[in-house]
Amino acid sequence: MQREVGTLPLAPALRARLAAAGFQTAQELLDTGPCGLSKEIGISREEALEVLQVVRQECHGDAARTAGGSGATRKCTALELLEEEQSQGFIITFCSALDNILGGGVQLTKITEICGAPGVGKTQLCMQLAVDVQIPECFGGVAGEAVFIDTEGSFMVDRVADIAAACVQHCHLIAEAQQEEDLRKALETFSLENILSHIYYFRCRDYTELLAQVYLLPEFLSEHSKVRLVVIDGIAFPFRHDFEDLSLRTRLLNGLAQQLIIIANDHKSAVVLTNQMTTRIGQSQSTLVPALGESWGHAATVRLIFHWDNSQRLATLYKSPSQKESTIAYHITSHGFRDVQPPAVTHSTEGTEPNPRKRPRTEEEKQ
Amino acid sequence: MAGRKLRRAQLSQEMCERLSRYQITTCQDFLCLSLLELMKVTGQSYYEVQKLLCKVSRACAPKMQTAYEMKLRKSVNPSSAFLSTTLHSLDRVLHGGVPCGSLTEITSPPGCGKTQFCIMLSVLATLPVSMGGLDGAVIYIDTESAFSAERLIEMAANRFPTYFDSDEKLLCMTRSIHLYRELTCCCVLKRIMSLEEEIISKKVKLIVIDSVASVVRKEFDTKLQGNLTERSNFLTRGASALKYLAEEFSIPVILTNQITTSLSSGPAIQADLVSPADDLSLSE
Repeated sequence: MQREVGTLPLAPALRARLAAAGFQTAQELLDTGPCGLSKEIGISREEALEVLQVVRQECHGDAARTAGGSGATRKCTALELLEEEQSQGFIITFCSALDNILGGGVQLTKITEICGAPGVGKTQLCMQLAVDVQIPECFGGVAGEAVFIDTEGSFMVDRVADIAAACVQHCHLIAEAQQEEDLRKALETFSLENILSHIYYFRCRDYTELLAQVYLLPEFLSEHSKVRLVVIDGIAFPFRHDFEDLSLRTRLLNGLAQQLIIIANDHKSAVVLTNQMTTRIGQSQSTLVPALGESWGHAATVRLIFHWDNSQRLATLYKSPSQKESTIAYHITSHGFRDVQPPAVTHSTEGTEPNPRKRPRTEEEKQ
Repeated sequence: MAGRKLRRAQLSQEMCERLSRYQITTCQDFLCLSLLELMKVTGQSYYEVQKLLCKVSRACAPKMQTAYEMKLRKSVNPSSAFLSTTLHSLDRVLHGGVPCGSLTEITSPPGCGKTQFCIMLSVLATLPVSMGGLDGAVIYIDTESAFSAERLIEMAANRFPTYFDSDEKLLCMTRSIHLYRELTCCCVLKRIMSLEEEIISKKVKLIVIDSVASVVRKEFDTKLQGNLTERSNFLTRGASALKYLAEEFSIPVILTNQITTSLSSGPAIQADLVSPADDLSLSE
């Protein structure tokens, strides 16, 4: 009630008038009443009534917050947080090594960033996650839906269909092995058609469309409350050209990061972003670093960097608040994102120089 | 969509006039401002400004489709998803051929046959659908003056002698291949931006750019300060324009590139560290 008038979310012109008339606290406004207010600062009675309603709403919100209830700022003990985190699901990636270094999989309510050179498998992992988020709970999944925001146009429906088919088959095998009734019942709704219908795809052509879409996301997510994953494939691409004013870019990116954090927390979903790599030219050497600059590095909670080592794809956990830094190897097969199988078959390179950036197909993939 | 005027975003007339006084006329200008700036500029309260933001966002935001709808749309017309290269092993590896609706890059050292491949694909695109072609025109942007019309006719006559049995058929084919010689980056970009109308009027089914690397390497010396950002600026603008055309019209776009040296350990030389050079999907 002692809240200052200048901090109320009113129109600036109105605030200026109230300050000029000498009002200092919200309580004074409430005491004056709408008719008195309208006469003192020269606005209509309806406008004065609106002002008072806003004041009451804000003060209500303040009171609720100080009483420890739920509001814009939540207060809870670390024990409550621990219980919440432990009961939260993870979105598995089907590569057990990657799940292990992430502590179980991609975490809900956190932003995970995947950086890497082109062709290393970022979009593949995103498509895999869009399928894996829909795995029913009895199989260890989160039974959610996915929003896929594509800025580069690299989303291939046929590939997603292949990944989804492999996932369904995998679950069928588990259900048959364990012979439990509820597993089989869950599989009835877990079909290729259902999986594809629950991936909501948006194609954003430039950063304005991306900004607009992120502004509209909270509304979309309240309508589709089962969404547990938001993927933005290619957060760097629309921001790397047409930007003479780099400070504007930093501001927009920071705003975007804030909104995504709010979305991740409010809707209990995981946010996955993919980033490109850029060359940082140093004194004596050049290194590949994630694009979009240093300040963007603070936006994501968890950062994975995918890179090549001769012909093996590696994933490094670069930044995480709870897991230690480590590197694992992974595969991209026709079924999707998988572990590296122990080398059972030695494959010949057929006399040609292997391209260091692409690995030759192994026997198992030739099928 | 970014350049859409606020008038067409269904904001009220007086609001648009008020905003234009602050030079905010397009949706892009509006969405780039922070909430506090918007409150100052519109003179509205916090909640009103949020509603305005949603309105403007709805005018710019893309339409939602589910992956299932996309799959259904593709399966309705499966044969138009690829342009077969008629090299069976290549088609097998590419799962059908050069995909429609996305960019394909062809890279090699000089003399391996990139331009020949592009010329052959141009011939294939003009063939009727029954013969595996796309039955449409071709836009060929040539930056190296390497395109030879005689070679084109020689290839067509020798490869498909039964189809191109008369001179008239050959001339008809050559009439549907539109050649543009552009020699600077600026011209190439301008040409790409102007392609949308040409594609509709000439019923174009294939775009070939041979080659991107030659203009870029001629004009941008990466050893000079600032050239790296300008070069990546040019490349990403060209790339997004081409992606838009490819997706909008569901046509294949073919780009050729050159080879550069990747120096794995070497001090102070600002060479391209990621090869092939001038990769359009990555920059710098």
